[in-house]
Amino acid sequence: MRFLRLGIAGMRGEVGTGINPLLAMDYAAALGTMVDGGTVVVGTDTRFSSPMFARAVRAALASCGCDVVDTGILPAPAVQFLVSRLGASAGLLVGAGHHPAGWNAVVPLSASGAYLNEAGTQTLLDIYHSRRFTHRPWDGIGGVNQAGQADIDAYMDTLCGLFDTDAISKAGFKVIADFCNGSGSKLGASFAERCGVELIILNDDLTGNLPHDPEPRPRSAAQARTLLHHLEANVAFVFNSDMSRASVVTNTGDTLSEEYTFPLAVRRVVARGDASVVVTNTCTTKTLDLVVEELGAKVEKTKVGQAPVVDCMLDIKAGAAGDGSGSFAMSKGAPAFDGFLAMGMVLESMAVEGATSSELADSLPKFHIVKKKVYCPSSHAYTLLRRLGDHFPDAELSDLDGFRFEWEDGWVHLRAAMTEPIIRMIVEWRTREEAEEMASNIRGLVERLVVS
Amino acid sequence: MTSGISSLKVGVSGVRGIVGESLTPALVASFAASFGAYVGGGGRVVVGRDTRPSGPMIEDAVVAGLLAAGCQPISLGTAPTPTIQMMVLKTRAKGGIAITASHNPESWNALKFIGGDGVFLNHNEAAELLDIYNQPDIDYVREEDVRSSRMICDAFDEHKRRVFRGIDVELVRSAGFTVAVDCCSGAGALFAKGFLEELGCRVLTLFDNTDGRFGRKPEPVPANLGKLVELVKRSSCDVGFAQDPDADRLVMVDECGEPVGEQYSVVLATEHVLSKTPGPVVVNLATTRAIDDVAAKYGAPVFHSKIGEINVVEEMRARGAVIGGEGGSGGIIWPSAHLCRDSFSGMALVLEMLAERKKKLSEIIASIPRYFTANRKVERSNLGAIEAVRRLRDKHAGQNLETLDGVRIDWPGKWVLVRPSNTEPVVRITAEAGTRKEADSLADEFAAELEN
Repeated sequence: MRFLRLGIAGMRGEVGTGINPLLAMDYAAALGTMVDGGTVVVGTDTRFSSPMFARAVRAALASCGCDVVDTGILPAPAVQFLVSRLGASAGLLVGAGHHPAGWNAVVPLSASGAYLNEAGTQTLLDIYHSRRFTHRPWDGIGGVNQAGQADIDAYMDTLCGLFDTDAISKAGFKVIADFCNGSGSKLGASFAERCGVELIILNDDLTGNLPHDPEPRPRSAAQARTLLHHLEANVAFVFNSDMSRASVVTNTGDTLSEEYTFPLAVRRVVARGDASVVVTNTCTTKTLDLVVEELGAKVEKTKVGQAPVVDCMLDIKAGAAGDGSGSFAMSKGAPAFDGFLAMGMVLESMAVEGATSSELADSLPKFHIVKKKVYCPSSHAYTLLRRLGDHFPDAELSDLDGFRFEWEDGWVHLRAAMTEPIIRMIVEWRTREEAEEMASNIRGLVERLVVS
Repeated sequence: MTSGISSLKVGVSGVRGIVGESLTPALVASFAASFGAYVGGGGRVVVGRDTRPSGPMIEDAVVAGLLAAGCQPISLGTAPTPTIQMMVLKTRAKGGIAITASHNPESWNALKFIGGDGVFLNHNEAAELLDIYNQPDIDYVREEDVRSSRMICDAFDEHKRRVFRGIDVELVRSAGFTVAVDCCSGAGALFAKGFLEELGCRVLTLFDNTDGRFGRKPEPVPANLGKLVELVKRSSCDVGFAQDPDADRLVMVDECGEPVGEQYSVVLATEHVLSKTPGPVVVNLATTRAIDDVAAKYGAPVFHSKIGEINVVEEMRARGAVIGGEGGSGGIIWPSAHLCRDSFSGMALVLEMLAERKKKLSEIIASIPRYFTANRKVERSNLGAIEAVRRLRDKHAGQNLETLDGVRIDWPGKWVLVRPSNTEPVVRITAEAGTRKEADSLADEFAAELEN
């Protein structure tokens, strides 16, 4: 099996066996051809191979006549912000984000700074697959410039203008931020200064070593939780290596599921009247629906991925968006999932509501989520899953992305994985027992369908 | 210029092509990765470039390719080709890549591959490299094995040291020459002035911009040196030097403003070196007979090699030559500095000769037999060129033939060399005779013969 993925989230893969600089070069040349020599902003995270991929895409873009603005190591949301600020035609993120060590990715951005939408991705891939790139002659080659500190400050100004820094500052929080040795470390001190918090930064080594699984999950939060206890911090945040995802550890040492980052952050945004519509994907926790609807706002659902979620937010002018992977965005901020934004909004919540982080977490309506994989060697997983509908005539069905069956007390989402021969199953119910029982029932059903 | 004929040349001189047309970043990265695999993954590889506008883009692609092979690239930025070769030794690197199309116009660029001994790959080594390049499956480095790249900014110091250690610097300083130097807007522009000033010269520079916009045609032949001639005359210079864009070649203008001719660079260097250290001389087949006359005066043997710097270098090594070079291209190879064509060695040797002999350059030249050469090119594809040369060989089978490289025919007082170019899709004709008219008519005669 090869480990290369091409799609709505760019080109991703295992370095060497899947993605390599030659492929990334063709991909970047396709982008350079698509924007016909416009300016392209390129930024990276801290993975070992990121400078290699940055060199490769810079060469390809310059060859296609694109002037490149190189931000160096910078959080993905900051790079995405800079694309529109600099009036660039496109952007390119180099970084593996939440992927495990050994992976990397090249993600194309539109002129707005958001991930390319479906139509844009299709155009890009058509050029990529044709391998017909418009390389320029010697006097038409693009140049490379570095992004300025003023541009990076502008991102921080916009970001920190989105939450009540006075209130946060007055509260005098002690906060732990685990940047997973990722690009977030570059802006951590600036964030702390602007918000007036005592920020204890964990894992800020930029050399590419991953101190733990970069996916913000309870199991990745062990280091932050241990420290939080000793330092008596008010809250801890665990980020992925490109600063697009976050998870929360409460002051009582509770390592919250990444599913709760979005509901915690967005509740404050809705409460203060900055979002009457909130966008998320079809497999986000029901907690989100309850939190948003309780405050009189609406939830709009899209396919899975940063591209469709953020694209929809911008399209329907919703106030905020996010998903269950620990992602959060606001229409007034960068057109991006932004870990700093999630952190700021949770801190504002604590400050304004005068609540501890564990009190905030406890006040969320809680469900129990079970995530499982079902082995499915068939290349017709989609057809198999569609037949599942016959078994659940009483459920409300959504086939926006995979299949979601919804009942009064819970829901099931099934989707064929793109990289492995498995079906991803998410089950959410009120209690652990109900969720486990439902998961085991459905797993049995799917396994019977697979062998039939 | 190359309609119907591929502008890409892959051969013993490296990989050369027209930027954006045949020389794309993907091709460059792929060759760099193959070179990385050839010299051994994990090794250091020195990278430098001339001033061509495509240089930074090509360098990015080269660095990406080398990283993909697990190598550690050491970038010198803009540097003369001989400097790059010397730095391979200094850094104990496994090899080097010079990014330069030498005397070709700005639209061209090329990769020249340097082995761990600081000299270019020979015919067999180049074939092995090409073999690696053409393998269907190349293993690229995995994330954990990607190395970081390094910059070295003072590489020319090493170059200077190697030249000055064989020169009586104090003697040259005391002479206080006035010198004009035409750097062809190339890599020499960064270093020539300082180098000559350290030799106590008052230095007037010409075409010393480094933006890669060549102020004159890059081949340092008399026809392109009008401005230098003017400057030498106007400012009463003792000598005028002209470099090519990567500063490996050198030609001179005497104090009267008379171009010495590219054939006489190696002749002058030989005259000086043999007067101090007698020993074997090696030149290529396209070198003037004046070299034989000078060597005879000092009782030194002269050996001929095929065309191409590496062929001269290997023959020099085999013969233990004290000086050598290429007549037709103004290439001076002085092993005391390094086994490579080097304009800086040439300048230092000539200045030392002037200082020692206390004579004008024109007087020294007058003491050496004078021959005239004429050069012609006839466009032919790779195969067509070989075929044309074969036909010529058969036709002139009865004469005094040398077929080491192409066909050289010698008569009393004149010779002609007809051979396929290593670097361009052309057949080159070099004719030499006692008068300009005779040389021209000999060259034209053979050009006409090829056209038929």
